[in-house]
Amino acid sequence: MTTFDLAYCNSCRSCYTKSFQTPSQSTKYYARQHKLLSRKFESDHSHSLSTATTQTQHLDPFELVRSDLQTLSDDIKQELHPYEKELASVSQYHFDGKGKSFRPMIAMLMAKAVNTHNEKPLELSRNQRKCAMIAEMIHTSSLVHDDVIDDSDTRRGKPSIHKNWGERKAILGGDYIMAMASMALARMGNERIVLAYSQILEDLVKGEFMQLGSKEDENERFAHYLKKTFKKTASLIANSCKSVAILAESTEETIEMAYQYGRNVGIAFQLVDDLLDFTSCENVMGKPTAADLKLGLATAPVLFAAQQHPSLNEMIMRRFSQPGDVAAARQYVAKSDGVEQTRYLATQHCNAAIQNIRTFKHSIEQDALVTVTSKVINRLK
Amino acid sequence: MLRNIGIRIRTNICNRCLKNIGIERLYHNPGSYSSQELTNQKHKKSLFHLRLSTNNQRLISFWGASTANDWSKAISDAEKIVGYPTSFMSLRCLLSDELSNIAVQMRKLVGTKHPLLKTARGFVYDGKHTMQTRGLVVLLISKAAVGTEVPSEQELIAGIHPKQRQLAEISEMIYTANLIHKGVIDVSDMSAEDGCQKDLEFGNKMAVLSGDFLLASASMGLAELHNTKVVEIVSGAIGDLMRAEFTELCSPRGTPSLTSSTTYQDWETQTFLSSGSLLAKCCQSTLELAGHCKEMQDKAFQYGKHLAFAHQLHEDLQPFTHPTDENGDQISLGSAPVILHYSKPENKPHLNRLLDSHVDQKKLRDTILSGTAVEETKRHCKENGKIAINAIESFPSSEAKTALENMINAVTNNSR
Repeated sequence: MTTFDLAYCNSCRSCYTKSFQTPSQSTKYYARQHKLLSRKFESDHSHSLSTATTQTQHLDPFELVRSDLQTLSDDIKQELHPYEKELASVSQYHFDGKGKSFRPMIAMLMAKAVNTHNEKPLELSRNQRKCAMIAEMIHTSSLVHDDVIDDSDTRRGKPSIHKNWGERKAILGGDYIMAMASMALARMGNERIVLAYSQILEDLVKGEFMQLGSKEDENERFAHYLKKTFKKTASLIANSCKSVAILAESTEETIEMAYQYGRNVGIAFQLVDDLLDFTSCENVMGKPTAADLKLGLATAPVLFAAQQHPSLNEMIMRRFSQPGDVAAARQYVAKSDGVEQTRYLATQHCNAAIQNIRTFKHSIEQDALVTVTSKVINRLK
Repeated sequence: MLRNIGIRIRTNICNRCLKNIGIERLYHNPGSYSSQELTNQKHKKSLFHLRLSTNNQRLISFWGASTANDWSKAISDAEKIVGYPTSFMSLRCLLSDELSNIAVQMRKLVGTKHPLLKTARGFVYDGKHTMQTRGLVVLLISKAAVGTEVPSEQELIAGIHPKQRQLAEISEMIYTANLIHKGVIDVSDMSAEDGCQKDLEFGNKMAVLSGDFLLASASMGLAELHNTKVVEIVSGAIGDLMRAEFTELCSPRGTPSLTSSTTYQDWETQTFLSSGSLLAKCCQSTLELAGHCKEMQDKAFQYGKHLAFAHQLHEDLQPFTHPTDENGDQISLGSAPVILHYSKPENKPHLNRLLDSHVDQKKLRDTILSGTAVEETKRHCKENGKIAINAIESFPSSEAKTALENMINAVTNNSR
């Protein structure tokens, strides 16, 4: 493990990874960590992310894997060619090459970084490419289901699948993508990787279930939120990083570092996503947001704000269901430093991710993975 | 939790499970139903799921009421052979945190027409939808293949490897997940009397989540088998279940639709995708798990596939062979007799008239009975049964093999 803020990392591990669960590190621990964090925030804000990354800023991570990413959509469509025409249209709908491909990009960069680290040929092996592809398939399949669950009308700039084909076919189409991803996965013939990807599926659905419920205890709530964030977002990135490392015949240590990098970046990614839900409106850019609040979800900015404004707790418990709750919650968040604290927490995870990736031998892909972290923090700012 | 949504545990649960998890037994007067009564016409409908006979032995009919006797006997004999509570899966899943959560939330759906309610009730209650037969067949074929060539060092319990039992459970999870996801409704198609839109959307949300949960559990279970070949085969079966909902025989809302170019082959494809594939591929996989050769695996596959065909043909025959009572079986336009009838050149011209108007069940039934389609369906049923039995001919004689044959006989005997 890295030396950076070890106590905090331990705490993370206790809630994110099963094998490190330590029930004794309870909610109080979290509360203490949080105070620590707030204090650190004041004194320590300049902490190194910017300096760590400035020198590599010129690298565009996407550029390094552009050629690999170019064929991604076509490769995926190759896996999705059922005889039934309508099913083909539904399942291929989102693979039009217009997605951000953030997850496959990380998997590909990690594959190249780890190949170099293990003194293997730099280029992705066939199976490593498959890993990146399967990650995108699983991600898309879960998006299709999420859109039905949250009833969102658009996705990636076009109507969501259920708006075109109805909820029933959207769900069945999503299942089909998942089944074909599993098939492609199994064809690789690597049991460990099959296990890693099954873990993703389990985490995705358990994360979704966690989102349904909220914790009574205020301190538990934050741990619950972080655990959910890991399961819903970071597990996919972490396990696909792990898988490409396994395929490069890495040592267990290297595999763990790849996994931790993915986990940290994944959590940071979601934290920033959650804070953008509050800030993008303030910046008067794009559509009105607060989508999470409207769904009744309390994310990091709200949870931090509730520390300063305890009256938020009641609204959190009733999932912002009363008229005026959403607006009031937004005001409280704006009055507090919830957004800044969220950003700081994300920065910490990115710094940890940098420490993880720095354990590898040097490569430009390694630098790119460092750049990715700053892109995660600074996107859409 | 279980009681909240009105599921009565006394249905598919075996004594052993109840003891294992310490749930209070909720049987109503064990012994109050004799096996005699089971065959009684009057009780036929209400008793077709599970009742205890006088000697506390359970009798189940999974596949419809009209053949409760043949089928339930085949099943109850078979369950003794594999020495396994095949109902275990539904119970374990029901008791998971995630599905408990769903069960509690499901109260909100009461009063709507969301299909999830019906599926949930059927989860442990209703006999019509063949809840646990796939698992049972997988176990039987595992056991029937023992002695042909299995490496001896494997630890078998009652002739079945633990991984094969796990696969049997997985097959049920996949089936149930699919049943739940097929029950997701298109909210825009619903009218006010189906329930308010918010409730129906909520029902969909629950259906999506619980189906996803089962699929994720199945996926994890498959990974734990440490056999990527099996993962590939079974994932293919999941894909087939989805394909079944997008065929031309399957109209937008998941009910069958007929065109003038529909043939019996389309029926076979549809039946394979929607039920044959999962059964066949799980039968194949369980032999792969035990290290049997490709040839044996193929035999198991054939058995599963043709059992599914014979069974579906048998089901399709019910509205014709057993005249409907008050809420009897509706004739499906996608059923074999209808397709066989209207695929004949002389009957094709009449198809449009059938499709244009609201389907008059009685008229449709009389029309089809006047032709030869019902006889042909019976013939197909018998043929498929024969292929299934021939497929396992080379398996050594055993009670498991006999049970597999009896299951075929239970569906083909009725096609006399």
